[in-house]
This record gives sequence, C-alpha cells and structure tokens, in this order.
Amino acid sequence: MQDLLYFFQQLVNGLTIGSTYALIAIGYTMVYGIIGMINFAHGEIYMIGAYTALIAITGLATLGVTWLPLVLIVALICAMIVSSAMGWAVERVAYRPVRGRHRLIPLISAIGMSIFLQNYVHLAQGSRNIGFPALIHGGFTFGSPDTFQAQISYMQITIFITTLICMTALSVFISRSRTGRACRAVSQDLGMANLLGIDTNRIISATFVIGAALAAVAGLLLGMYYGSIDPLFGFIAGLKAFTAAVLGGIGSIPGAMLGGLVLGVAESLTSGYLSGEYKDVVSFGLLILILLFKPTGLLGKPEVEKI
Amino acid sequence: MRISVKKLATAVSASVALMAAGQASAEIQIGIAGPMTGPVAQYGDMQFSGARMAIKRINENGGVMGEKLVGVEYDDVCDPKQAVTVANSLVNDGVRFVVGHLCSSSTQPASDIYEDEGVLMITPASTNPDITDRGYELVFRTIGLDSMQGPVAGNYIASQNPERVAIIHDKQQYGEGIATAVRDTLKDKGVDIAMFEGITAGAKDFSSLISKLKQADVDYVYYGGYHPELGLILRQAKQAGLDAQFMGPEGVGNKDINTIAGDAAEGLLVTLPPSFDKKSENQDLVKAFEDAGEDPTGPFVLTSYTAVQLIADGIEKADSTDPFDVAEALRSGSFDTPIGTVQYDKKGDLKSFDFVVYRWHSDGTKTPVK
Repeated sequence: MQDLLYFFQQLVNGLTIGSTYALIAIGYTMVYGIIGMINFAHGEIYMIGAYTALIAITGLATLGVTWLPLVLIVALICAMIVSSAMGWAVERVAYRPVRGRHRLIPLISAIGMSIFLQNYVHLAQGSRNIGFPALIHGGFTFGSPDTFQAQISYMQITIFITTLICMTALSVFISRSRTGRACRAVSQDLGMANLLGIDTNRIISATFVIGAALAAVAGLLLGMYYGSIDPLFGFIAGLKAFTAAVLGGIGSIPGAMLGGLVLGVAESLTSGYLSGEYKDVVSFGLLILILLFKPTGLLGKPEVEKI
Repeated sequence: MRISVKKLATAVSASVALMAAGQASAEIQIGIAGPMTGPVAQYGDMQFSGARMAIKRINENGGVMGEKLVGVEYDDVCDPKQAVTVANSLVNDGVRFVVGHLCSSSTQPASDIYEDEGVLMITPASTNPDITDRGYELVFRTIGLDSMQGPVAGNYIASQNPERVAIIHDKQQYGEGIATAVRDTLKDKGVDIAMFEGITAGAKDFSSLISKLKQADVDYVYYGGYHPELGLILRQAKQAGLDAQFMGPEGVGNKDINTIAGDAAEGLLVTLPPSFDKKSENQDLVKAFEDAGEDPTGPFVLTSYTAVQLIADGIEKADSTDPFDVAEALRSGSFDTPIGTVQYDKKGDLKSFDFVVYRWHSDGTKTPVK
C-alpha cells in the first residue's frame, strides 16, 4: 500500500511538471509546424511571462488587492499580454526579415534573440533568484500519518486544470475557428495558402502570439509552484519543452502534449526510483532512442516531399 | 564622413595602455575577483565590500611602503569558464595580487593561471581542500577548509542522535566536497545514512526528491551547495509536509535564502565562520562599515578585508612587491587581523580556523547553537 502511494505521488509530481512542459512545448511545435524553424527564444518568453506575473502580483499587493482569484486572473492577463507582445515583436524583428533564407540563418537569429532577452532581464531585474509568493496553499493527503503520505496539493490541481483548459481551448480554436483553419492550411503548404488569399504573415504572427501566451500561463504556474525565478530559468525549461516537442513529434500539437507528459513522468520516476542524478540522462536518452527508432516522434507524421 | 573603426580602436587601446602604465608606476594594484552578478552575487557583495573597505583604510593610513593600493574589480559570475577569462585579463592588466575567487570551482582553474604567471592569490571564501593541495607557492586563503567544516556539521548531526540522515549535494566541487566530508564523519560515528544523492545546480523542481525523502522517512537532511537550490528545497518540503531538520554549509547562510524559502527557512542549521563582527577588538572596523552604509555581518566581509590586509602586511614585511617574496613573508610570519592571529602552513592554509553551528531564522538573523 505504501509503495503504491509512493508510486502515485511520483506519478502526480511527474504529470504536474509534464503538463507545464507541454504548455511550453506547444510554442515550439506550432512555430515549427508552420514555418519549419525552431524558436530558441521561446524559453525566454516563458521566463518573461513569469517575471511579468510576479511584477503584477507585487503591484496588486502594494495596492492592497489580496482577493486570490482576482490577483491570479490579473497576473495571468498581464503575463499573457506582455509575453504575446514580446512573441509578436521577436518574430517581427528577428525572424521575418530572414524568413525563407537557409534554415540555419533564422536558427542563429533565434539563439541571438534568446541571449539578448536573457541579458536584458539580467540588467532590468537583477541576476539573483527572486522569491515568488506561494498563493495557493494546502492539498489533499492520502494514507495514514504514521507511514508515507501521498499529497496532491491544490497548486498541482490548479496546474492540471489550467493546462487542460488551455489545451482544450487550443484544440477547439485550431479545429473550429477561421484563423485555426488558416493555421492548418499554412502549415500544410505555406505557398499555396498564400496564393489562395490567406494572409500568411498574419497567421505566422498569430502562431507566435498563441505560443507566447501559453508560455506565459506556464510561467505564472511554475513560478508559484517552484517558488523562485531567475533570468536563466527559461533556458532549461525551454530545452526540456523542446525535447518534449521533438519526443511527441515536432509540428504536432497532440504530440507536444503527449511528449510533455511522457517526459515529466519519466523524469519524476527516474529520480523517485533510481536517482535524481540520472533524471536528465534518462530523459535525453529517451529522446535519442525515439529519434533512432521513430525519427518523426511519437505522434509526428512523416514529412512527405512536396512536388 | 566615415570614421575608421580600426583607428578608433587603436586610439582607445593606446589611451588605456597609457592609463595602465601611469597607474603601475605609483600604485600597487589589488585585483578583486568574484561574482558581481549571477546567482551567488550576494556573496560577491560581501567580498567586494570587505576588500574595498580594507583598501580604503590602508590608504588612509599612508598606504603600503608609501604607495597607494588600487582595487581593480573583476566579475567571474561564479562560472569556472568566466574565472579563467578573468584570470587571464587580470594577468594582462599587470595585476600581481588577487583577492579571490569566491566559488571553489572558479578559484581552482583561476589559481592554475596565477601560479604560472606569478600572481599571488588569497581566496577569502573557497573552502575546497584541493585548491591548496597541489603544492602551489602563491595560493593562500583566509577561510577554513571543507575538511574542517564537514566534521563540525557531521559531529553536530551525530550528537543529535538522528535515526536516518539524507545527504544531498549539487554535484559541484564545493557542494559535493563538503557533503562527502559530512558523510565520512557520520559513517565514522555509525549514523545510518539513508541517501547520498546529487541534484542539478539551477534546477527548480524538487518534488520527486522530496517525495523520496518522505518515503525514506529521514529526520535529518544535510545539503551541500548554495542557497538558491536549498531555498527551494526548504519551501517545497514544507508545502509537501516533510518534517525533517535541514542543515547546510556557509554557502546557504545568507539573507537571500529568506526571500526564496520564506517561513520555511526558520530553524535551518548552518555552519559558518564565527561572527568576526561580534569580536570586541573589531568594533572600530564594524563602525567604519556601518558609517559607510555597508553590512559587516556577512561571512566573507571580514575574510576579504583580512586578505587585503595580509597582502599589505606581506609586502611591508618582505619589503618587496614581488609576489614570491610576499608569499615567503606570509608563510614565515604571524599577523594580527580581524579574523584573529593568522599563521600559514606550507600549503597556504590557515593553521587554525573554527566553524560554528548557527540556527537560521526566517527574518535573516542567526543565533549560535550549543
């Protein structure tokens, strides 16, 4: 019974972290699906989302607003607006001018943007770890107090539900809305979509904005869950989310969701049963294995040569 | 009109070279190398404020052999790669005495360069034993070793008769070194060590680790590393309902841990150098810091102050600014400093240095235990 509870606890830990990886991974996978480039500055957009949320929370606290749902919603909206604006601006400044060139050029431009944003936040906010207030306390516990007690915190539940809502909204948006249909068309064939009268520039901008908004949601959630943020934390999270996107099949939205969850659970079970030191070894080893045996990722479709 | 970038660069570098030459003739340059930015910049602040104060006070008292000391500051971000770059540029700038570096993992690669290039280095904070263990002539420190600090922590834990102890470290030279020293002490005392495990420095999610600590039912957790990670571990452990006593080395004992961990930092045990700022003979100095609006209470403020003072005293004693003569003078002499009487052994380690166990509080203060 105790072992089962322990397994359950590690599974919950893994799913929590995995669902936020998935939120960030969407940004990578959508951009790749549409223009075939890897937006390495995406992790920084997530980091900026977390900083904006913290600034909003601190600002509200000084104004005396403490009603939790209001604080969370205002922080979330602020973070999403700033991150989306940032995602849009990054695309305009760093990617659009080099679009259509050799694929290495936008990649290098993206890495440059990532370094720029990291250092910008370093300068603007200082390089130290900043504590993030834990706004949601408590949780459900299972098991008797004498032995191992599994705990699902309200924070973890909040992360699950928020992720679920975001993912559902995104799926509906992509499959039902006019812009979503245009997104799918552009991802199938950018040139043809353009010929048929779709404003592809607008659709590409929309992709960046959606990815950035979801990353901002992840920024707020993870900031509260972990408890501190620093200018470099977007880099590691971005790397993990990118791995999740490739694992699930880059370019595929359900793939990014699945990839994130698989990666999160693999990490948490490794550190739970093996050792925390092997966490990254296992997650990146898993990536290599999948790429060897199924290069398109778990849910990716093989790329058909377009004639 | 087009301005030639090349010409401009030549002009700038020429004027810089002139300035440097002008300084070298009349002043003794003291390099201060440590993290001004980055995750452990808090410790860098202590180092820089201590060294600056020492330079200021020595100059007010007439300098060294009639010459003024000039501080030259370098930022190594506590990154080993950056430390090598800093060491090289310091050598290029003609600096021959260094107070630094702070993190053991920076001090070690930088000291290779200093030793080769004839630069005398005194680290005010690096506690890893390997640094002075390589037979180098020009490497000193004004702090104790992990091999002294580890047993203090290990003996304290053993004296509390814990049932099961977990030891976590950040896989870096400092953290793993001290965690190993604690483990060895505990093993000698026959304490049951349930876990000895590394985490990744910079990681944020410790939920799996904490579940594992709960499962192992430990009552003591020793963490070898720095405050950003321990702060998060404390906070996440409190939220997950882990009931264990945490302990860490001086790398976790600063006020930044309170901003990260909040209430969860209350009751944390920390081994630190004794509070030199509480010693009665240092009250003049403490007042000087306070008048300047600086905080003298950090663990590395007065060790840095002492490092500068030792360089000055060594130069006076050797009657030479040659780093090798100064090193010889430091090894043979005995010096009165804010951290007590300093005597060096052959390796460049202090002959005696105490660590004290403190209990940390959520308001950033600390009280001695025992």
